[in-house]
Amino acid sequence: MHEWALADAVVEATAAAMGSRDPSCLRGVTVLIGELQAIDREIFSFALETLLSERPYSRGIFHLETEKATFGCEKCQREWDLEESRGLTDEEREAIHFLPESAHAFIRCPACGSPDYRLKKGRGVSITSLEVVNREGCV
Amino acid sequence: MRLTDPRTAVVAKRLAGIQRVIAFSSAKGGVGKTMCTVVSALVLARGGRRVGILDLDMQGASAHLFLGTRPRLPEEKHGILPLPVADGVSLMSVAPFTGERGLLLRGAEVSDAILELLAVTMWGPAELLLIDMPPGMGEEILDLSRLVPRLEALVVSTPAVVSVSVVERLLSVLRELHVSVPAVIANMVQGDTGRVRDLARRAGVARVVEVPHDPSIEAAIGSADALASSAAGIALEKAMASLGYL
Repeated sequence: MHEWALADAVVEATAAAMGSRDPSCLRGVTVLIGELQAIDREIFSFALETLLSERPYSRGIFHLETEKATFGCEKCQREWDLEESRGLTDEEREAIHFLPESAHAFIRCPACGSPDYRLKKGRGVSITSLEVVNREGCV
Repeated sequence: MRLTDPRTAVVAKRLAGIQRVIAFSSAKGGVGKTMCTVVSALVLARGGRRVGILDLDMQGASAHLFLGTRPRLPEEKHGILPLPVADGVSLMSVAPFTGERGLLLRGAEVSDAILELLAVTMWGPAELLLIDMPPGMGEEILDLSRLVPRLEALVVSTPAVVSVSVVERLLSVLRELHVSVPAVIANMVQGDTGRVRDLARRAGVARVVEVPHDPSIEAAIGSADALASSAAGIALEKAMASLGYL
């Protein structure tokens, strides 16, 4: 379950962003999960809470949101989503789960077949916001 | 409050158990970076060191070919585990994910892939991490010099005029990035190495390691024992000891 490694990254990054602020300042962390990486939300959430329990922050501060994956073809300008990228095998999906850039080895533009496209959004895990208490020493 | 990519927050933690991270680099292609990386890892392991190899050549990953390993998806254990490829040697690259398919990536995607591999790979007992760098100067050296504490580079060149000229540019860039270069490896040596020695002198690099041209290497590809016992293996074993890696 490499979700643990990503959860660890989120918790470490949260602690780094908080720096020396009082841990009680932290109210919420919004984490965006890109559809392409197909993170197991349950494992990821459990890992976040478990890793957080080793730190002086309140439980339940993580809010998980999912972002749909969107691709854009550089050749024919077609945009498409993951549902249209049919025919991926389980092994290919697993490879993309571990390393989202692997998608470029397996997915082609559904309109023109070009390998020249960009993943426009929905890649992997990122932190979009930290909510802190509005008081002196917290902001 | 500054939000950064969460993966950058754990790279140092993932490498915390590793004593030295050595990037085998050359701005020139075809000078033997992968051979030097893999053979160095094998002789270091034969000397009792536990070594990880990180092949960062996204388009031309080939360390697994030298080692005769068929790429397969990695095992997971709170991260992904590098593939055990020889006694004391483990390997991570894009090959376990993409196999022998081509991988066309733009610069930002190369950076994303490097960061992902650094953030989720659990190197376990590895003491030394040898990085097989792709040819050229781009995302790889910029990202590694920023993300990896105490990165050092062994710079590989052949004695050929063109190789020395291109590698000199890399040495200049590495100096600007504050990446330590303990030695220049003169690879495929068949005669005079004066050009490489002059290059090292100009760049302020203290040592030049000479690795002879070894026609037997081609036949040794795929066999860890044959690679480690080759003339290149003998030369690199001496070099690894003299540089304090062994």
